[in-house]
Amino acid sequence: MGQKIIDSITPIFREVFDDPSLIVTKELSANDVKNWDSLNHIILIVELETLTGLFFSTDELVNLKNVGDFVQLLAEKGYRG
Amino acid sequence: MKFDEYPSVGFFYDSLSFQFPYFAAVIQKQIDSFGDHWLKLFENELKVFFSNDKKRIDQAVRGYGKFSLDSMKLQVKFQKAKEYENKTYEEAASEVYQNKEYMFGLYLPGILLSHYLWRHHFLQHIFFLEKFLPLVGSGDGKVFYDIGVGTGFYSKEMLTRTKLKGRGFDLSPHSLEHTLMLLGAHNVANRYEANLRDIIKEPVTPAADYLVNIEVLEHLEDPQMFLNFLTKMLKSGGYGLISAAINAPNADHIYLYRNSDEVASHLVRAGFEIVDSTVDAAYTPRTEGDIVPVNAAFIVTKKEGR
Repeated sequence: MGQKIIDSITPIFREVFDDPSLIVTKELSANDVKNWDSLNHIILIVELETLTGLFFSTDELVNLKNVGDFVQLLAEKGYRG
Repeated sequence: MKFDEYPSVGFFYDSLSFQFPYFAAVIQKQIDSFGDHWLKLFENELKVFFSNDKKRIDQAVRGYGKFSLDSMKLQVKFQKAKEYENKTYEEAASEVYQNKEYMFGLYLPGILLSHYLWRHHFLQHIFFLEKFLPLVGSGDGKVFYDIGVGTGFYSKEMLTRTKLKGRGFDLSPHSLEHTLMLLGAHNVANRYEANLRDIIKEPVTPAADYLVNIEVLEHLEDPQMFLNFLTKMLKSGGYGLISAAINAPNADHIYLYRNSDEVASHLVRAGFEIVDSTVDAAYTPRTEGDIVPVNAAFIVTKKEGR
């Protein structure tokens, strides 16, 4: 299931970070992507909310440090990809 | 990055990099823009207020991260809606100012650290140091009022850099508590009186020699009426530092100023004369049409006889 979610959110990561060849894995974090700064992080979150129809609270956002955290949160909220 | 001379900033950077890696670049940006001046001031605040306590710094970083995430998310939505979320003052007060968990967990550490970490807030601080403080001088025997103390940052600055006595006014008991903690850490609380008071319902007399009113106007439903009362709190010939956030949504921002002229117009209509001003953006827009949060700060005076 995790991979299905990753596949569905990969286009958003590629668009937000302006890298069409970005390989999105569970371990990927801001330390690995040049353009993953604060502003792009927020744009990423808003785009993911739009894609999934879900809302992330500030307390939930605090714990998102890598793609795996995003995937886990989306799965917990019922998103299946 | 090396912080040999600034160990508290170094620890802060490590904590920020661990908890919010996408925010960590702000430290290098501030060093590039403001150099040793910024490092010394930030190191001093971390040392004095946070007592180099790593647990407290970790908690403050968490609060700052939450505060910034909250406001940046609102900024992305504001970019499309071009309006603040519709909210009354009572709603904002209940959600924010009277909510101890929100104030101490997120809002107060977030705003305090933003004075050092947000470009436009630090530029406002430089404006205060270079343009406003020289008008105050030593301040011996004189009094200032801080209306809407927030974290107490500008009350602390007024007290530590002059011999002024101060009175702070706020509607949030948590803001006043935080202010007294900050002033206590800097050993200046003995020249200060903190008041839980609505200056419109209970006007304050006598007028003071100096006023500071930092980023309060946007929190109100009717800033013009508030400024009309504020004018009466400044002596003729005295000076005030008044600032407002423009195009900057936040959980408790109600009145939308779209440019600095709107703020200036409110000040003049209230009877203030503008002496100097600075208008600073939070960051450079990435693309044409991007709406960027701006801070506008004004030094004002009141002519004799008004």
